[in-house]
Amino acid sequence: MVTRDVKILNEAGLHARPSSELVKLASSFESEFFIEMYGYRINGKSILGIMTLAAEEGAEMTLIVDGPDEEEALEAISNLIDNKFKTS
Amino acid sequence: MNKSIKETEKTVRLTGNPASGGIGMGPAWIMPESKASVKPEKIDKSKAESELDRVQKAVGDVLDGFEKLKSGSEGDEINQILDAQIEVLKDPQLMEEIRSKIIEKYFGPSYAIFESFNKYIELLDGTNAEWAKERMVDIVSIRDELMQTLQSRNYDMLVEKSSIVFADEISATDLIKLSSMDISGIVMHKGGLTSHAVILAQSLDLPCVVGVDWQRVKVQQKAPVLLDGDSGEIFIHPSEEKRENFIERQQLHKEKKSKVLEWAEKPAETNCGSSFTIRANIEFENELARLKTHGAKGIGLLRTESCLFQSTNFDVEAQMKFYRTVVEKADGESVTIRLFDAGGDKLLEDHGNESNPFLGWRGIRMLLDKPEMLHHQIEAILRISGEFPGQLKLMVPMVSRIEEIESVHQTVENVKLTLKEKGISFDDDLPIGIMIEVPGIALMASEAAEIVDFFSIGTNDLTQYTLAVDRGNEHISGLYTSTHPAVWRLIKMVKEGADTQGIPVSVCGEMAARPELAACFLGMGINEISMTTNSIPSVKSVLCRSSLREMQKLAEHVLGSTHVKKADELLKEWLYEKTESLNR
Repeated sequence: MVTRDVKILNEAGLHARPSSELVKLASSFESEFFIEMYGYRINGKSILGIMTLAAEEGAEMTLIVDGPDEEEALEAISNLIDNKFKTS
Repeated sequence: MNKSIKETEKTVRLTGNPASGGIGMGPAWIMPESKASVKPEKIDKSKAESELDRVQKAVGDVLDGFEKLKSGSEGDEINQILDAQIEVLKDPQLMEEIRSKIIEKYFGPSYAIFESFNKYIELLDGTNAEWAKERMVDIVSIRDELMQTLQSRNYDMLVEKSSIVFADEISATDLIKLSSMDISGIVMHKGGLTSHAVILAQSLDLPCVVGVDWQRVKVQQKAPVLLDGDSGEIFIHPSEEKRENFIERQQLHKEKKSKVLEWAEKPAETNCGSSFTIRANIEFENELARLKTHGAKGIGLLRTESCLFQSTNFDVEAQMKFYRTVVEKADGESVTIRLFDAGGDKLLEDHGNESNPFLGWRGIRMLLDKPEMLHHQIEAILRISGEFPGQLKLMVPMVSRIEEIESVHQTVENVKLTLKEKGISFDDDLPIGIMIEVPGIALMASEAAEIVDFFSIGTNDLTQYTLAVDRGNEHISGLYTSTHPAVWRLIKMVKEGADTQGIPVSVCGEMAARPELAACFLGMGINEISMTTNSIPSVKSVLCRSSLREMQKLAEHVLGSTHVKKADELLKEWLYEKTESLNR
């Protein structure tokens, strides 16, 4: 299991489109993915779960990835968040 | 004989906020309301597996439906919305919750779906994020669609072609679906001008009016309806005369729309070579794309209330970001920023209850009572003016006395001093103007002109204050006529007052968006008008094909009218002859 603390940098926060990007990316990995924020733990492959976090710009959260491709998944997911969900 | 039968159905007129322009005509279709509750029915254990299969099949069917809509529709926005909906249907957590309710607790599938979705809907409702609340309607619509599909009940088939849809609130997906069924208009009770559904309606070119309390009048299924997406009017059981008038306008609208957009690129000049300026009224970022396509030369009115409602602390940086985005899109043309005009119909939280908000604490009256807020906004505008020198103007709303203008000047000077001390650049010549919407200041126009750089006439409020008509009041809304000669005469006085000091006058109210009235303004020597982007091409096409001389004559006649009816007729006839001769 690997974890990393990240911060939401895009101004609109983790709204509908970024949530959707995040889920799409996470679902492409085999590992389980969770997000912890304010003591909540949600399934990072669940768009509804992510949306209910209503994470705004500046929100801090912990990413938890567990599974065969965990390192790779954590790297990719952190990158997406750090790049403000710009997929290029 | 026929006539007397028709008259038994009384015409009902409703009004709301125009959200997407155009004319809609057709039978009413009342959108079924989503269920408030579903009974927790239990199923037989032996049936759990087969019920789960049914749910999975329904999910598959709904997914297919979304995929189909996707391939069939153009535009990124539509596909993005559908993608987000598809993602919800594929949500593993949600599906697991539905599964366990059926397989482990033996709840019926409808209840399992209803409860599982509701958990998330309630969570979204509990967040502070506006976007999350906006998304709720989309999630509710997936929930309901899934339940309907499960019961093989699909309302699709029931929607007649060219229906006018009456809904409490419409989700983006439902809107996409309805538009594929050739509906002709939408009436919503809820839903703001920035809701997903409204933005989509605009891009799909579907007439739409929001904020209509239609449930109050009991609209019957299939009742004949006329909808005017430009004025926000709805007529149920319209008179034959009204209907003919709408048919004519719809026809005109169709023919014109294709031709009219061509005018966007042509120079803004009358056919005798006199130039005029049409700018855009803008409230939200998503409207900016239309500046270019619709031929707006900059922004004559930038509303800033959206900043006010989006954040609670009127943060200078946040405001600057919004202004910067707007100015960048204005392509080097001027942008007139109006100070917060909260109050009246746009209630601020600590506004309390006023018995007559339109005559109350709003515009500059409120700002002067909240010096910090005024200071912040002026600071944000000045700092942006430093980034785009010569391009910005500042406009003060709801001025009713000279003292208010002096106070604003004082604040501007103070902010300039602090900025200088901090070494922050700004445009020292930033023009400061006022809205003319209170008759009291209109009568003081020449004195006001001595201390401001421009006037902009807000015709909606000027009309209601001049005629003492609350246009929200149904009993007297017929008396709300911007074409009243008194309104024209007052505008003429304002123009004359401005001329004593040689300052420019523009019009930024709804009047400017009607071609015949815009022509009358030009005839009065007011050659700068500002309106919603959607109206620009049609107004421009008429003005470009008219001569200053004929518009002067029109203005002269209208100003000389004694009766409202006469002024109305003159304007109507002028436009009729104009469009007739142009179509010939």
